[in-house]
Amino acid sequence: MTTSRDRDQDLNRLLDDDGGEFGTLYRRLPRAEPPRRLDRAVLGNAARAVHGQTPYRHRWVVGFGSVAGVVLAAGIAWHVGQDALRQQSLNESGTGAAVVIPVQPITSTKHRHTTDAMKVDSTALAPMPAEPEPTAKAAKPQIMAPQVRAKSESVPPMPRPTPPPAAPMATPAPFPVAPTQSTNAPPAADAARGRAGDSTRAAPAQTSELREQSAPTRMRGSGAPAPSSSLELRRDMQLAPDDWLAHIRQLLHQDRRQQATESLRLFHATHPQHPLPADLQALLE
Amino acid sequence: MLAYAEGDLIAFETLYRRHRGMLYRFLMRSLRHRADTDELFQETWSRLVAARERYRPDAKFTTWLLQIAHNLVIDRFRRQRPQASPEETETVLRDLDAPESEQPDHALSEFEQRRRLQLALEELPEEQRIAFLLRVEGGLGLDEIGAITGAGRETVKSRLRYALARIRARFSS
Repeated sequence: MTTSRDRDQDLNRLLDDDGGEFGTLYRRLPRAEPPRRLDRAVLGNAARAVHGQTPYRHRWVVGFGSVAGVVLAAGIAWHVGQDALRQQSLNESGTGAAVVIPVQPITSTKHRHTTDAMKVDSTALAPMPAEPEPTAKAAKPQIMAPQVRAKSESVPPMPRPTPPPAAPMATPAPFPVAPTQSTNAPPAADAARGRAGDSTRAAPAQTSELREQSAPTRMRGSGAPAPSSSLELRRDMQLAPDDWLAHIRQLLHQDRRQQATESLRLFHATHPQHPLPADLQALLE
Repeated sequence: MLAYAEGDLIAFETLYRRHRGMLYRFLMRSLRHRADTDELFQETWSRLVAARERYRPDAKFTTWLLQIAHNLVIDRFRRQRPQASPEETETVLRDLDAPESEQPDHALSEFEQRRRLQLALEELPEEQRIAFLLRVEGGLGLDEIGAITGAGRETVKSRLRYALARIRARFSS
């Protein structure tokens, strides 16, 4: 009979380092090994676990790269937009240069609101009914400024002409005069206008004069005095009435009769109550 | 294992090469089914990989590995069939305690010894077989076996005693 003492001996031998009788026999059993496919699966799983861990640790790199990409894209877009704006402004300034800054509209539109004497000029503008209302509205701020000055008799600094941004406002010129009219108009168109009193022709002729002012080559070729520009006229408007008249006389002395005439006309429109000197009145006739 | 937890894949390969055979045989002799063995072998390593950052070098790596494997084996047993009750085990052991005079005492060939040991292992109740395998295959002591199986030291000793008695009975038959 197997006693408990025998079982304790077997257990003690089993717990020995060599495993005793049965431990030794067990080690002689076929030693099964896992198939290679299991090795590959286990090692692959372990490798994936390790490699899958790396991106977590370096996730900031991905985030930083994304932010850098967005910033770069935004920078490029901003540059492209700036270039487009620059190009657009260049185009607009080119268009604005082609169209003379309309000093004449100031005068002509003003005539509608001021004196009866100027009604002639304003009626002369009547044949331009195609003038859209928005244009008249756009011209209003330019009109009001001289009126305020006339009332207060003070000469506040003239706002600088706005070069390119104002160009779109000036583009729809209030006087779309046909080129033939303006080019064929005689230099002394004011004389013809005064002589005939034909208001329908006077306005185009007047406009053509102003346009000729911006055509220096043509003026030079015809031996006319140095061309005046709207800027010069605007500068004249900043002068006090007496100074302005003195300046007109100076222009006459310099043999710049055309510019003196324009300046005097503008003076009369701006200061209708101011009496014109007899020597200068002839210019308006 | 600590090195692998830091991302050293070579360390894991070293561990794997060292313990793969032992684990595979433990599972094979516990489950007695190759397909189950393959499945639980892979699952054991997968769980070890997943838990690599929780590893603490308080216990031997072998103990930790066999702990995972043992849990999987027990889960499989519970799903497959009910365990033998302690009463059934006692009955079997009483029957095995046959008089020594009645047991044939003849020398067996080595092949026959291995075959009988294999049969005896297969016939052992799960708890005894696992305790025996943890001892002879894993080389674990009583305390380590108790830690893995959740049994006390004396319980482990008792299981081993019964296992040895059954094996010896197989050899005496």
